[in-house]
Amino acid sequence: MLTSLALPLALLLTQQQSIADRLAGRVPPDIAALATELATDAAGRGLPIDPIIQKAIEGSAKRVPAERVGAAMRLVVTQLDAAAGGLRDGNAALSADTVAIAAGAFALTAGLSGRDIATLARSGSPPAEVIVGLRVAGTLVALGVPASETMTLVTGTLQAGRPAGELLALPGRVQAEVAKGVTPAQAAAGLARAAAAQARRGPPPGRGQPPPHPTPPPHP
Amino acid sequence: MSKRDFHPLVKQLLDGDITIADLPAELRSEGEEALRLLAAVDRRPLQLPEVTARVMATIGDPSRRKFWRRVIEPREIRIRVRPWLLAPALAAAAALVLWLGRSGSPAPSSDLSGLVTVRFVLSAPDAHDVGLAGTFNQWDASATPLVRTGAGLWTATITLPAGEHQYAFVVDGERWVPDPAAPAVDDGFGRRNSVLTL
Repeated sequence: MLTSLALPLALLLTQQQSIADRLAGRVPPDIAALATELATDAAGRGLPIDPIIQKAIEGSAKRVPAERVGAAMRLVVTQLDAAAGGLRDGNAALSADTVAIAAGAFALTAGLSGRDIATLARSGSPPAEVIVGLRVAGTLVALGVPASETMTLVTGTLQAGRPAGELLALPGRVQAEVAKGVTPAQAAAGLARAAAAQARRGPPPGRGQPPPHPTPPPHP
Repeated sequence: MSKRDFHPLVKQLLDGDITIADLPAELRSEGEEALRLLAAVDRRPLQLPEVTARVMATIGDPSRRKFWRRVIEPREIRIRVRPWLLAPALAAAAALVLWLGRSGSPAPSSDLSGLVTVRFVLSAPDAHDVGLAGTFNQWDASATPLVRTGAGLWTATITLPAGEHQYAFVVDGERWVPDPAAPAVDDGFGRRNSVLTL
């Protein structure tokens, strides 16, 4: 009985010490205390703690007032929760993956919605490629590609069974097209048409699975 | 040692251009004396083995001397330019110059270990120092200084793990500047962070 109580307490104390060590000398004590509290609470819900700690360090490095750093850390926690929810809606297994949750939170920061996260999670692709897809989708939105075009392009590429390297190349290809004079939306649409043509031809041998939802729902 | 100057016709005699019979009578005795002096010169080759050895050591192997002479001595080189070969050569040179001089950043190149080498570039002609701070170095502006490469360009090349990274340039230790060549997201503090997805 005593052991069953002591073990979680010991783990909690170890985790808090680890967080405190990462923040030591980098953030003021009040921000360190709040970050430790938020991160410990987030870890208890299965969320990654690194984005919270990073935001505390970033705010202090930028000499942002403590109350704004606190608000930014709370926003990060909210986005992590929303990302976990979106992943749960799309693929329950992914909602336990802290790397996927962090990738989803980044996509939300960039401008995608929880529904978009769910759509990508249910693309039928392997988890590692969904994670890359979430990061790339966030990056495309950060480049100025509208969310609807971003979703069409990324889900189309995932469903075509293209390797992660091709997903990672998408932002650079969009930038290259934009440099030629088209808008980010036009660039993404052109690449999406190419991905759709590839999907019709089928994935390369040994890659990808038939997607359960061939056409992603329209972005709200 | 006195120096005696012979008549020009006597000199011709010594050179073998004329014979003693061709000389006028008043120059015959002078010509005969000149021939006597010439006959008295010892023409046997002088043998100085030590000197020969030192000289040969200094000038080295004649075959090698020939090779170096071919390398270092100026000689005429003729180049025939074929116009139909010039265009692709110029295009290749232009592409190389553009590739070396491109200032878009960051420029990644992957290896097989999941690490990616990335070159960051910022144009800041008036800056005194520029640092790179991001999620990869705990937002430490002094951890990754950029180097001024001329024409106001600052660069840093670092190796990062695959993933999503956020960063900004720190100009003169106080001004946080997003990368103009990279996508950016809200940093939660009213500014923008640049994004790099590897």
